[in-house]
Amino acid sequence: MFLPDNYEFYCPVKTNSGNRALEHIPIDLDALSSRKPLIVTSKDVAGKGAVKKIVNAFKDSGITVGIFDAVPDVPDIKFIEEVSNIYRNKEHDSIVALGGGPIVDVAKIMNIAVSYNIQGLKELAGDDLIINPLGPFVLVPTLSGTGYETSRFAKIENLTFSSHFLMPDLVVIDPRMIKAEDSQIVVATAMTALTHSAEAYTCPAKNPLTDTYAYAAIQYIAENLVNVIEESKDKEGRLALANAAAMAGCALSNTAVDIVHTLGEVVGDMFDLPNGICMGILLPYGLEYSSNKNGYHTADLLLPLAGFDEYAKTSENLRARVAINMITEMQHDLYDATRGEIPRTLEEAEVPRYMLQDIAEKAVSCGSPKFDFDGYLTVLEHAWEGKPIARN
Amino acid sequence: MADYRKVAAGRKPFKRAYVAVMLWFVGRAIQATARVDKVVKKEFEALPEEFTFSLGVEPGGPHMIVGKNKKGRVKYMGWEPEGKHIDLKMEIKNLEAAILMFTFQESTAIAIARDRMIVDGEVSYACTVVRVLDIVEVYLLPRLIARLAVKRYPLWSFRHKYIGRARIYFRSILGY
Repeated sequence: MFLPDNYEFYCPVKTNSGNRALEHIPIDLDALSSRKPLIVTSKDVAGKGAVKKIVNAFKDSGITVGIFDAVPDVPDIKFIEEVSNIYRNKEHDSIVALGGGPIVDVAKIMNIAVSYNIQGLKELAGDDLIINPLGPFVLVPTLSGTGYETSRFAKIENLTFSSHFLMPDLVVIDPRMIKAEDSQIVVATAMTALTHSAEAYTCPAKNPLTDTYAYAAIQYIAENLVNVIEESKDKEGRLALANAAAMAGCALSNTAVDIVHTLGEVVGDMFDLPNGICMGILLPYGLEYSSNKNGYHTADLLLPLAGFDEYAKTSENLRARVAINMITEMQHDLYDATRGEIPRTLEEAEVPRYMLQDIAEKAVSCGSPKFDFDGYLTVLEHAWEGKPIARN
Repeated sequence: MADYRKVAAGRKPFKRAYVAVMLWFVGRAIQATARVDKVVKKEFEALPEEFTFSLGVEPGGPHMIVGKNKKGRVKYMGWEPEGKHIDLKMEIKNLEAAILMFTFQESTAIAIARDRMIVDGEVSYACTVVRVLDIVEVYLLPRLIARLAVKRYPLWSFRHKYIGRARIYFRSILGY
Protein backbone atom coordinates (compact mmCIF):
# COMPACT_ATOMS: atom_id res chain seq x y z
CA MET A 1 0.00 0.00 0.00
CA PHE A 2 1.26 3.46 -0.89
CA LEU A 3 -0.06 6.38 1.15
CA PRO A 4 1.88 9.67 0.93
CA ASP A 5 2.43 11.69 4.10
CA ASN A 6 0.49 14.49 2.50
CA TYR A 7 -1.26 15.00 -0.81
CA GLU A 8 -3.83 17.16 -2.56
CA PHE A 9 -6.14 16.12 -5.36
CA TYR A 10 -8.66 18.22 -7.22
CA CYS A 11 -10.63 17.19 -10.29
CA PRO A 12 -13.79 19.11 -11.22
CA VAL A 13 -14.14 17.35 -14.60
CA LYS A 14 -17.39 15.52 -15.24
CA THR A 15 -16.91 12.90 -17.95
CA ASN A 16 -19.73 11.66 -20.12
CA SER A 17 -18.53 8.90 -22.42
CA GLY A 18 -20.25 6.48 -24.75
CA ASN A 19 -23.26 5.94 -26.95
CA ARG A 20 -25.33 9.13 -27.49
CA ALA A 21 -23.16 11.08 -25.02
CA LEU A 22 -23.45 14.22 -27.17
CA GLU A 23 -27.18 14.45 -26.57
CA HIS A 24 -26.54 14.97 -22.85
CA ILE A 25 -24.80 18.30 -23.47
CA PRO A 26 -27.95 20.50 -23.36
CA ILE A 27 -29.09 19.21 -19.96
CA ASP A 28 -25.55 19.37 -18.58
CA LEU A 29 -25.23 22.95 -19.83
CA ASP A 30 -28.54 23.70 -18.16
CA ALA A 31 -27.06 22.38 -14.90
CA LEU A 32 -24.20 24.86 -15.43
CA SER A 33 -26.80 27.65 -15.87
CA SER A 34 -25.95 28.05 -19.53
CA ARG A 35 -28.41 28.56 -22.40
CA LYS A 36 -26.22 30.25 -25.03
CA PRO A 37 -23.16 28.16 -25.79
CA LEU A 38 -20.50 29.13 -28.32
CA ILE A 39 -18.97 26.18 -30.19
CA VAL A 40 -15.32 26.85 -30.96
CA THR A 41 -13.60 24.71 -33.57
CA SER A 42 -11.48 24.74 -36.72
CA LYS A 43 -12.35 24.56 -40.42
CA ASP A 44 -10.71 21.14 -40.55
CA VAL A 45 -12.90 19.67 -37.79
CA ALA A 46 -16.00 21.39 -39.17
CA GLY A 47 -15.24 19.97 -42.61
CA LYS A 48 -15.39 16.43 -41.22
CA GLY A 49 -19.03 16.86 -40.18
CA ALA A 50 -18.40 17.22 -36.46
CA VAL A 51 -20.27 20.55 -36.21
CA LYS A 52 -23.34 19.08 -37.86
CA LYS A 53 -23.37 16.20 -35.37
CA ILE A 54 -23.07 18.44 -32.35
CA VAL A 55 -25.78 20.81 -33.64
CA ASN A 56 -28.04 17.75 -34.12
CA ALA A 57 -27.43 16.88 -30.49
CA PHE A 58 -29.01 20.22 -29.51
CA LYS A 59 -32.22 19.46 -31.43
CA ASP A 60 -35.36 19.64 -29.29
CA SER A 61 -33.45 21.49 -26.58
CA GLY A 62 -34.69 24.92 -27.65
CA ILE A 63 -31.12 26.21 -27.48
CA THR A 64 -29.60 28.42 -30.18
CA VAL A 65 -25.89 27.75 -30.53
CA GLY A 66 -23.20 30.05 -31.86
CA ILE A 67 -20.50 28.50 -34.01
CA PHE A 68 -17.04 29.88 -34.58
CA ASP A 69 -15.08 27.54 -36.85
CA ALA A 70 -11.86 29.32 -37.75
CA VAL A 71 -9.30 28.40 -35.09
CA PRO A 72 -5.93 28.31 -36.90
CA ASP A 73 -3.18 25.72 -36.30
CA VAL A 74 -1.04 28.37 -34.58
CA PRO A 75 -3.31 30.90 -32.84
CA ASP A 76 -1.98 33.97 -31.05
CA ILE A 77 -3.17 36.29 -28.28
CA LYS A 78 -4.65 38.76 -30.80
CA PHE A 79 -6.81 35.98 -32.22
CA ILE A 80 -8.03 35.05 -28.72
CA GLU A 81 -9.05 38.67 -28.13
CA GLU A 82 -11.01 38.72 -31.40
CA VAL A 83 -12.93 35.53 -30.56
CA SER A 84 -13.52 36.78 -27.02
CA ASN A 85 -15.11 39.93 -28.45
CA ILE A 86 -17.47 37.81 -30.55
CA TYR A 87 -18.39 35.87 -27.40
CA ARG A 88 -19.15 39.08 -25.52
CA ASN A 89 -20.96 40.86 -28.35
CA LYS A 90 -23.19 37.87 -29.07
CA GLU A 91 -23.84 37.42 -25.32
CA HIS A 92 -22.81 33.78 -25.07
CA ASP A 93 -22.57 32.23 -21.63
CA SER A 94 -20.47 29.09 -22.14
CA ILE A 95 -17.80 27.63 -24.43
CA VAL A 96 -17.90 24.24 -26.14
CA ALA A 97 -14.50 23.32 -27.56
CA LEU A 98 -14.91 20.87 -30.41
CA GLY A 99 -11.62 19.17 -31.30
CA GLY A 100 -8.18 19.08 -29.72
CA GLY A 101 -4.80 20.81 -29.65
CA PRO A 102 -4.95 24.54 -30.44
CA ILE A 103 -8.78 24.56 -30.35
CA VAL A 104 -8.72 23.59 -26.68
CA ASP A 105 -5.94 26.06 -25.89
CA VAL A 106 -7.96 28.83 -27.56
CA ALA A 107 -11.13 27.82 -25.68
CA LYS A 108 -9.37 27.72 -22.31
CA ILE A 109 -7.57 31.03 -22.70
CA MET A 110 -10.67 32.64 -24.18
CA ASN A 111 -12.53 31.49 -21.08
CA ILE A 112 -10.03 33.43 -18.96
CA ALA A 113 -10.51 36.54 -21.14
CA VAL A 114 -14.32 36.50 -21.03
CA SER A 115 -14.60 35.44 -17.37
CA TYR A 116 -12.09 38.00 -16.10
CA ASN A 117 -13.26 40.46 -18.74
CA ILE A 118 -9.75 41.79 -19.24
CA GLN A 119 -7.57 42.60 -22.22
CA GLY A 120 -4.12 41.99 -20.72
CA LEU A 121 -4.13 38.20 -20.75
CA LYS A 122 -0.38 37.96 -20.45
CA GLU A 123 -0.61 39.11 -16.83
CA LEU A 124 -2.39 35.86 -15.96
CA ALA A 125 0.12 33.54 -17.64
CA GLY A 126 2.01 31.47 -15.10
CA ASP A 127 1.23 29.11 -12.29
CA ASP A 128 -1.99 29.57 -10.30
CA LEU A 129 -2.50 33.24 -11.14
CA ILE A 130 -6.11 32.50 -12.08
CA ILE A 131 -7.73 32.34 -8.69
CA ASN A 132 -11.45 32.65 -9.49
CA PRO A 133 -13.74 30.14 -11.19
CA LEU A 134 -14.22 30.68 -14.93
CA GLY A 135 -17.35 30.35 -17.08
CA PRO A 136 -18.82 26.98 -18.07
CA PHE A 137 -16.48 25.08 -20.38
CA VAL A 138 -17.34 21.88 -22.22
CA LEU A 139 -14.85 19.81 -24.20
CA VAL A 140 -15.84 17.47 -27.02
CA PRO A 141 -12.71 15.75 -28.34
CA THR A 142 -12.68 14.58 -31.95
CA LEU A 143 -9.54 12.51 -31.76
CA SER A 144 -7.89 10.37 -29.15
CA GLY A 145 -6.14 13.35 -27.52
CA THR A 146 -3.01 13.84 -25.46
CA GLY A 147 -4.44 14.54 -22.04
CA TYR A 148 -3.53 18.23 -22.25
CA GLU A 149 -7.15 18.91 -23.18
CA THR A 150 -8.53 17.99 -19.75
CA SER A 151 -5.51 19.25 -17.88
CA ARG A 152 -4.96 22.46 -15.95
CA PHE A 153 -2.65 23.78 -18.66
CA ALA A 154 -3.14 25.97 -21.73
CA LYS A 155 -0.48 27.31 -24.07
CA ILE A 156 -0.36 30.11 -26.56
CA GLU A 157 2.64 31.73 -28.19
CA ASN A 158 5.33 31.29 -25.53
CA LEU A 159 2.91 31.63 -22.61
CA THR A 160 1.72 28.80 -20.39
CA PHE A 161 -1.35 29.26 -18.22
CA SER A 162 -1.76 26.85 -15.33
CA SER A 163 -4.74 26.70 -13.01
CA HIS A 164 -7.26 24.12 -11.88
CA PHE A 165 -9.95 26.50 -13.10
CA LEU A 166 -8.82 25.80 -16.67
CA MET A 167 -9.96 22.19 -16.44
CA PRO A 168 -13.22 21.62 -18.32
CA ASP A 169 -16.47 21.31 -16.41
CA LEU A 170 -17.58 18.56 -18.75
CA VAL A 171 -15.84 16.25 -21.21
CA VAL A 172 -18.10 14.49 -23.70
CA ILE A 173 -16.53 11.52 -25.46
CA ASP A 174 -18.89 10.20 -28.09
CA PRO A 175 -17.84 7.40 -30.47
CA ARG A 176 -19.48 9.26 -33.37
CA MET A 177 -17.00 12.10 -32.91
CA ILE A 178 -13.80 10.07 -32.51
CA LYS A 179 -12.81 9.44 -36.10
CA ALA A 180 -10.01 7.32 -37.52
CA GLU A 181 -6.99 9.55 -37.93
CA ASP A 182 -3.60 9.26 -39.51
CA SER A 183 -1.46 6.65 -37.66
CA GLN A 184 1.16 9.18 -36.70
CA ILE A 185 -1.42 11.46 -35.05
CA VAL A 186 -2.97 8.55 -33.13
CA VAL A 187 0.42 7.30 -31.91
CA ALA A 188 1.64 10.80 -31.05
CA THR A 189 -1.46 11.64 -29.01
CA ALA A 190 -1.65 8.24 -27.30
CA MET A 191 2.05 8.24 -26.44
CA THR A 192 1.72 11.71 -24.92
CA ALA A 193 -1.20 10.43 -22.83
CA LEU A 194 0.81 7.32 -21.88
CA THR A 195 3.75 9.52 -20.87
CA HIS A 196 1.52 11.75 -18.75
CA SER A 197 -0.08 8.78 -17.03
CA ALA A 198 3.10 6.66 -16.62
CA GLU A 199 4.96 9.65 -15.17
CA ALA A 200 2.00 10.46 -12.91
CA TYR A 201 2.01 6.82 -11.76
CA THR A 202 5.72 6.78 -10.91
CA CYS A 203 6.60 10.35 -9.89
CA PRO A 204 7.07 11.50 -6.27
CA ALA A 205 3.87 13.61 -6.46
CA LYS A 206 1.70 10.52 -7.05
CA ASN A 207 -1.16 9.79 -4.70
CA PRO A 208 -3.94 7.18 -4.52
CA LEU A 209 -6.33 9.28 -6.62
CA THR A 210 -3.88 10.18 -9.40
CA ASP A 211 -3.01 6.46 -9.42
CA THR A 212 -6.63 5.59 -10.15
CA TYR A 213 -6.79 7.87 -13.20
CA ALA A 214 -3.30 6.94 -14.41
CA TYR A 215 -3.88 3.20 -13.94
CA ALA A 216 -6.99 3.18 -16.14
CA ALA A 217 -5.33 5.38 -18.78
CA ILE A 218 -2.24 3.13 -18.99
CA GLN A 219 -4.39 0.01 -19.17
CA TYR A 220 -6.59 1.42 -21.98
CA ILE A 221 -3.58 2.53 -24.02
CA ALA A 222 -1.66 -0.72 -23.52
CA GLU A 223 -4.68 -2.79 -24.52
CA ASN A 224 -5.79 -0.75 -27.50
CA LEU A 225 -3.13 1.39 -29.16
CA VAL A 226 -1.46 -1.22 -31.38
CA ASN A 227 -4.81 -2.69 -32.36
CA VAL A 228 -6.22 0.73 -33.31
CA ILE A 229 -3.23 1.27 -35.61
CA GLU A 230 -3.52 -2.21 -37.14
CA GLU A 231 -7.30 -2.16 -37.40
CA SER A 232 -8.63 1.27 -38.36
CA LYS A 233 -12.25 0.16 -37.79
CA ASP A 234 -11.65 -0.47 -34.09
CA LYS A 235 -14.19 2.08 -32.81
CA GLU A 236 -14.15 0.71 -29.28
CA GLY A 237 -10.37 0.99 -29.19
CA ARG A 238 -10.50 4.62 -30.33
CA LEU A 239 -13.08 5.38 -27.66
CA ALA A 240 -10.82 3.74 -25.05
CA LEU A 241 -7.88 5.91 -26.20
CA ALA A 242 -10.00 9.07 -25.96
CA ASN A 243 -11.03 8.09 -22.43
CA ALA A 244 -7.40 7.37 -21.57
CA ALA A 245 -6.40 10.85 -22.74
CA ALA A 246 -9.09 12.49 -20.59
CA MET A 247 -7.96 10.51 -17.53
CA ALA A 248 -4.28 11.19 -18.20
CA GLY A 249 -5.04 14.92 -18.18
CA CYS A 250 -6.72 14.66 -14.78
CA ALA A 251 -3.73 12.71 -13.41
CA LEU A 252 -1.27 15.19 -14.94
CA SER A 253 -3.12 18.14 -13.40
CA ASN A 254 -2.51 16.73 -9.93
CA THR A 255 1.12 15.66 -10.31
CA ALA A 256 3.89 17.28 -12.31
CA VAL A 257 5.50 16.82 -15.69
CA ASP A 258 8.64 14.73 -15.55
CA ILE A 259 11.77 13.98 -17.55
CA VAL A 260 10.12 12.34 -20.59
CA HIS A 261 7.55 15.08 -21.05
CA THR A 262 10.23 17.78 -20.84
CA LEU A 263 12.65 16.07 -23.24
CA GLY A 264 9.86 15.07 -25.65
CA GLU A 265 8.76 18.68 -25.98
CA VAL A 266 12.30 19.99 -26.40
CA VAL A 267 13.24 17.39 -29.04
CA GLY A 268 9.92 17.85 -30.87
CA ASP A 269 10.20 21.62 -30.96
CA MET A 270 13.89 21.62 -32.02
CA PHE A 271 13.48 19.12 -34.86
CA ASP A 272 9.89 19.77 -35.89
CA LEU A 273 8.74 16.31 -34.83
CA PRO A 274 5.41 15.51 -33.11
CA ASN A 275 6.10 15.80 -29.37
CA GLY A 276 4.19 12.58 -28.67
CA ILE A 277 6.36 10.56 -31.08
CA CYS A 278 9.44 11.85 -29.26
CA MET A 279 7.88 11.05 -25.87
CA GLY A 280 7.14 7.50 -27.09
CA ILE A 281 10.80 7.00 -28.02
CA LEU A 282 12.05 8.50 -24.75
CA LEU A 283 9.54 6.90 -22.37
CA PRO A 284 11.31 3.56 -21.68
CA TYR A 285 14.63 5.31 -21.09
CA GLY A 286 13.12 8.08 -18.96
CA LEU A 287 11.36 5.50 -16.81
CA GLU A 288 14.59 3.49 -16.52
CA TYR A 289 16.47 6.58 -15.44
CA SER A 290 13.81 7.54 -12.91
CA SER A 291 13.64 4.00 -11.58
CA ASN A 292 17.41 4.09 -11.06
CA LYS A 293 16.94 7.28 -9.07
CA ASN A 294 13.78 6.64 -7.07
CA GLY A 295 12.74 3.27 -8.27
CA TYR A 296 10.08 1.32 -6.51
CA HIS A 297 6.99 2.71 -8.29
CA THR A 298 8.15 1.73 -11.78
CA ALA A 299 7.59 -1.93 -10.90
CA ASP A 300 3.91 -1.16 -10.26
CA LEU A 301 3.53 -0.07 -13.88
CA LEU A 302 3.51 -3.73 -14.85
CA LEU A 303 0.03 -4.23 -13.42
CA PRO A 304 -1.84 -1.82 -15.74
CA LEU A 305 0.47 -2.63 -18.64
CA ALA A 306 0.27 -6.41 -18.49
CA GLY A 307 -2.61 -7.37 -16.21
CA PHE A 308 -2.86 -9.47 -13.06
CA ASP A 309 -1.54 -12.77 -14.44
CA GLU A 310 1.71 -11.36 -15.82
CA TYR A 311 2.19 -9.18 -12.74
CA ALA A 312 1.68 -12.12 -10.36
CA LYS A 313 4.04 -14.46 -12.16
CA THR A 314 6.85 -11.88 -12.42
CA SER A 315 9.15 -11.73 -9.42
CA GLU A 316 9.20 -8.43 -7.58
CA ASN A 317 12.75 -7.45 -8.55
CA LEU A 318 12.02 -7.99 -12.26
CA ARG A 319 8.74 -6.10 -12.54
CA ALA A 320 10.24 -2.71 -13.38
CA ARG A 321 12.43 -4.24 -16.10
CA VAL A 322 9.52 -6.21 -17.60
CA ALA A 323 7.24 -3.14 -17.54
CA ILE A 324 9.82 -1.03 -19.35
CA ASN A 325 10.42 -3.84 -21.86
CA MET A 326 6.69 -3.93 -22.56
CA ILE A 327 6.72 -0.24 -23.53
CA THR A 328 9.75 -0.87 -25.76
CA GLU A 329 7.91 -3.80 -27.34
CA MET A 330 4.89 -1.59 -27.91
CA GLN A 331 7.16 0.84 -29.77
CA HIS A 332 8.45 -2.04 -31.92
CA ASP A 333 4.89 -3.24 -32.63
CA LEU A 334 3.92 0.28 -33.69
CA TYR A 335 7.00 0.46 -35.93
CA ASP A 336 5.95 -2.81 -37.59
CA ALA A 337 2.26 -1.86 -37.82
CA THR A 338 3.10 1.43 -39.55
CA ARG A 339 5.87 -0.11 -41.70
CA GLY A 340 8.55 2.00 -40.13
CA GLU A 341 6.59 5.25 -39.99
CA ILE A 342 6.91 5.43 -36.19
CA PRO A 343 10.57 5.64 -35.19
CA ARG A 344 11.87 3.52 -32.29
CA THR A 345 14.99 5.52 -31.54
CA LEU A 346 16.11 9.13 -31.85
CA GLU A 347 18.48 7.94 -34.59
CA GLU A 348 15.52 6.65 -36.60
CA ALA A 349 13.78 9.98 -35.95
CA GLU A 350 16.79 11.60 -37.65
CA VAL A 351 17.90 13.55 -34.59
CA PRO A 352 21.64 14.16 -35.10
CA ARG A 353 23.75 12.65 -32.33
CA TYR A 354 25.94 15.73 -32.10
CA MET A 355 22.88 17.74 -31.05
CA LEU A 356 22.14 15.70 -27.93
CA GLN A 357 24.15 18.01 -25.69
CA ASP A 358 22.26 21.03 -27.01
CA ILE A 359 18.96 19.29 -26.31
CA ALA A 360 20.06 18.44 -22.76
CA GLU A 361 21.12 22.05 -22.16
CA LYS A 362 17.78 23.35 -23.35
CA ALA A 363 15.95 20.81 -21.19
CA VAL A 364 17.90 22.01 -18.14
CA SER A 365 16.77 25.57 -18.82
CA CYS A 366 13.06 24.70 -19.07
CA GLY A 367 12.66 21.40 -17.22
CA SER A 368 12.25 20.23 -13.67
CA PRO A 369 15.10 21.03 -11.26
CA LYS A 370 14.96 17.36 -10.24
CA PHE A 371 17.05 16.46 -13.27
CA ASP A 372 20.46 17.79 -14.22
CA PHE A 373 22.33 17.98 -17.51
CA ASP A 374 23.88 14.53 -17.05
CA GLY A 375 20.49 13.00 -16.37
CA TYR A 376 18.94 14.43 -19.53
CA LEU A 377 21.98 13.47 -21.60
CA THR A 378 22.00 9.89 -20.29
CA VAL A 379 18.37 9.43 -21.32
CA LEU A 380 18.96 11.05 -24.71
CA GLU A 381 22.02 8.96 -25.53
CA HIS A 382 20.32 5.70 -24.68
CA ALA A 383 17.18 6.71 -26.57
CA TRP A 384 19.33 7.60 -29.57
CA GLU A 385 20.95 4.16 -29.62
CA GLY A 386 17.94 2.22 -28.37
CA LYS A 387 20.09 0.73 -25.62
CA PRO A 388 18.75 0.12 -22.09
CA ILE A 389 20.28 2.05 -19.19
CA ALA A 390 22.19 -0.24 -16.84
CA ARG A 391 20.72 -0.28 -13.32
CA ASN A 392 23.01 1.06 -10.60
CA MET B 1 -17.13 37.70 -37.93
CA ALA B 2 -17.48 35.88 -41.25
CA ASP B 3 -16.55 32.67 -39.46
CA TYR B 4 -19.29 33.10 -36.86
CA ARG B 5 -22.88 31.98 -37.27
CA LYS B 6 -25.88 31.20 -35.10
CA VAL B 7 -27.86 28.02 -35.53
CA ALA B 8 -31.25 27.47 -33.93
CA ALA B 9 -31.64 23.91 -32.73
CA GLY B 10 -34.21 22.11 -34.84
CA ARG B 11 -36.69 19.50 -33.76
CA LYS B 12 -37.15 15.75 -34.06
CA PRO B 13 -40.92 15.47 -34.54
CA PHE B 14 -41.07 11.81 -35.57
CA LYS B 15 -38.96 10.55 -32.69
CA ARG B 16 -40.92 12.73 -30.28
CA ALA B 17 -44.22 11.39 -31.65
CA TYR B 18 -42.98 7.79 -31.33
CA VAL B 19 -41.96 8.31 -27.70
CA ALA B 20 -45.28 10.08 -26.98
CA VAL B 21 -47.25 7.10 -28.34
CA MET B 22 -45.11 4.64 -26.38
CA LEU B 23 -45.55 6.59 -23.16
CA TRP B 24 -49.29 6.83 -23.74
CA PHE B 25 -49.57 3.09 -24.30
CA VAL B 26 -47.23 2.10 -21.46
CA GLY B 27 -49.18 4.41 -19.12
CA ARG B 28 -52.44 2.68 -19.99
CA ALA B 29 -50.70 -0.71 -19.77
CA ILE B 30 -49.53 0.07 -16.22
CA GLN B 31 -53.12 0.81 -15.28
CA ALA B 32 -54.23 -2.46 -16.87
CA THR B 33 -51.42 -4.53 -15.34
CA ALA B 34 -52.23 -3.22 -11.87
CA ARG B 35 -55.67 -4.84 -12.30
CA VAL B 36 -54.40 -8.12 -13.79
CA ASP B 37 -51.07 -8.91 -12.12
CA LYS B 38 -50.90 -9.60 -8.38
CA VAL B 39 -47.27 -8.54 -8.02
CA VAL B 40 -47.86 -5.15 -9.64
CA LYS B 41 -51.01 -4.69 -7.59
CA LYS B 42 -49.03 -5.36 -4.42
CA GLU B 43 -46.25 -2.98 -5.48
CA PHE B 44 -48.81 -0.16 -5.87
CA GLU B 45 -50.51 -1.05 -2.58
CA ALA B 46 -47.18 -0.45 -0.81
CA LEU B 47 -47.02 3.11 -2.18
CA PRO B 48 -48.59 6.03 -0.24
CA GLU B 49 -52.23 6.99 -0.78
CA GLU B 50 -52.88 9.01 -3.94
CA PHE B 51 -49.25 8.48 -4.97
CA THR B 52 -48.61 9.86 -8.45
CA PHE B 53 -45.56 9.58 -10.65
CA SER B 54 -44.56 10.91 -14.05
CA LEU B 55 -42.16 9.50 -16.59
CA GLY B 56 -41.12 11.97 -19.27
CA VAL B 57 -38.44 13.35 -21.52
CA GLU B 58 -36.40 16.52 -20.94
CA PRO B 59 -36.92 19.22 -22.02
CA GLY B 60 -40.64 19.73 -22.40
CA GLY B 61 -42.00 16.21 -22.61
CA PRO B 62 -43.75 14.08 -23.69
CA HIS B 63 -44.83 12.65 -20.34
CA MET B 64 -47.06 10.00 -18.91
CA ILE B 65 -48.63 10.41 -15.49
CA VAL B 66 -49.80 7.42 -13.50
CA GLY B 67 -51.12 7.41 -9.96
CA LYS B 68 -53.52 6.03 -7.40
CA ASN B 69 -56.89 7.70 -7.06
CA LYS B 70 -58.75 8.25 -3.79
CA LYS B 71 -60.09 4.70 -3.96
CA GLY B 72 -56.57 3.33 -4.35
CA ARG B 73 -57.09 2.30 -7.96
CA VAL B 74 -54.19 2.79 -10.32
CA LYS B 75 -55.07 5.19 -13.14
CA TYR B 76 -53.31 6.55 -16.20
CA MET B 77 -53.73 10.31 -15.69
CA GLY B 78 -52.73 11.65 -19.10
CA TRP B 79 -49.65 13.35 -20.52
CA GLU B 80 -49.92 16.83 -19.00
CA PRO B 81 -47.95 17.16 -15.73
CA GLU B 82 -49.01 20.81 -15.32
CA GLY B 83 -51.44 21.38 -12.47
CA LYS B 84 -51.02 17.87 -11.04
CA HIS B 85 -49.41 17.01 -7.74
CA ILE B 86 -46.63 14.59 -8.63
CA ASP B 87 -44.75 12.73 -5.89
CA LEU B 88 -42.09 11.21 -8.10
CA LYS B 89 -40.74 12.70 -11.32
CA MET B 90 -38.63 10.47 -13.53
CA GLU B 91 -37.17 12.43 -16.43
CA ILE B 92 -35.19 10.90 -19.27
CA LYS B 93 -32.41 13.40 -19.98
CA ASN B 94 -33.05 13.72 -23.71
CA LEU B 95 -35.05 12.36 -26.61
CA GLU B 96 -32.26 10.11 -27.91
CA ALA B 97 -31.98 8.43 -24.51
CA ALA B 98 -35.77 7.91 -24.58
CA ILE B 99 -35.47 6.35 -28.04
CA LEU B 100 -32.83 3.93 -26.72
CA MET B 101 -35.25 2.93 -23.96
CA PHE B 102 -38.40 2.71 -26.04
CA THR B 103 -36.76 0.82 -28.88
CA PHE B 104 -35.57 -1.57 -26.16
CA GLN B 105 -31.89 -1.09 -26.87
CA GLU B 106 -31.50 -0.21 -23.20
CA SER B 107 -33.51 -1.49 -20.27
CA THR B 108 -34.88 0.96 -17.72
CA ALA B 109 -32.38 -0.29 -15.14
CA ILE B 110 -29.47 0.12 -17.58
CA ALA B 111 -30.67 3.60 -18.58
CA ILE B 112 -30.61 4.61 -14.91
CA ALA B 113 -27.20 2.98 -14.43
CA ARG B 114 -25.90 4.95 -17.42
CA ASP B 115 -27.13 8.21 -15.95
CA ARG B 116 -29.74 8.78 -18.62
CA MET B 117 -32.47 9.65 -16.13
CA ILE B 118 -33.07 12.16 -13.38
CA VAL B 119 -35.15 11.09 -10.43
CA ASP B 120 -36.87 13.79 -8.41
CA GLY B 121 -38.43 12.12 -5.39
CA GLU B 122 -37.93 9.08 -3.17
CA VAL B 123 -35.45 6.66 -4.70
CA SER B 124 -37.28 3.68 -3.15
CA TYR B 125 -40.47 4.71 -5.00
CA ALA B 126 -38.45 5.01 -8.22
CA CYS B 127 -37.21 1.45 -7.68
CA THR B 128 -40.84 0.33 -7.35
CA VAL B 129 -41.71 2.06 -10.64
CA VAL B 130 -38.75 0.41 -12.40
CA ARG B 131 -39.88 -3.03 -11.13
CA VAL B 132 -43.41 -2.32 -12.33
CA LEU B 133 -42.15 -1.18 -15.74
CA ASP B 134 -40.12 -4.40 -16.05
CA ILE B 135 -43.22 -6.52 -15.45
CA VAL B 136 -45.33 -4.45 -17.85
CA GLU B 137 -42.69 -4.85 -20.56
CA VAL B 138 -42.64 -8.63 -20.09
CA TYR B 139 -46.41 -8.67 -20.65
CA LEU B 140 -46.35 -6.33 -23.64
CA LEU B 141 -43.33 -7.54 -25.57
CA PRO B 142 -42.31 -10.81 -27.19
CA ARG B 143 -39.65 -12.69 -25.21
CA LEU B 144 -36.88 -11.85 -27.69
CA ILE B 145 -37.36 -8.09 -27.23
CA ALA B 146 -38.42 -8.15 -23.59
CA ARG B 147 -35.17 -9.91 -22.64
CA LEU B 148 -33.33 -6.80 -23.84
CA ALA B 149 -35.65 -4.47 -21.99
CA VAL B 150 -35.78 -6.07 -18.53
CA LYS B 151 -33.20 -6.91 -15.94
CA ARG B 152 -34.08 -10.61 -15.75
CA TYR B 153 -36.73 -12.37 -17.79
CA PRO B 154 -39.12 -14.14 -15.36
CA LEU B 155 -40.11 -17.80 -15.48
CA TRP B 156 -43.89 -17.58 -15.83
CA SER B 157 -46.37 -20.30 -16.72
CA PHE B 158 -47.96 -20.25 -20.16
CA ARG B 159 -51.30 -19.28 -18.66
CA HIS B 160 -49.84 -16.51 -16.51
CA LYS B 161 -48.01 -14.91 -19.42
CA TYR B 162 -50.30 -15.32 -22.41
CA ILE B 163 -53.70 -14.97 -20.75
CA GLY B 164 -52.31 -12.03 -18.77
CA ARG B 165 -50.91 -10.49 -21.95
CA ALA B 166 -54.25 -10.78 -23.76
CA ARG B 167 -56.10 -9.22 -20.83
CA ILE B 168 -53.59 -6.37 -20.52
CA TYR B 169 -53.63 -5.57 -24.25
CA PHE B 170 -57.44 -5.68 -24.24
CA ARG B 171 -57.69 -3.37 -21.21
CA SER B 172 -54.95 -1.02 -22.49
CA ILE B 173 -56.65 -0.54 -25.84
CA LEU B 174 -60.05 0.02 -24.25
CA GLY B 175 -58.54 2.08 -21.44
CA TYR B 176 -59.97 0.46 -18.32
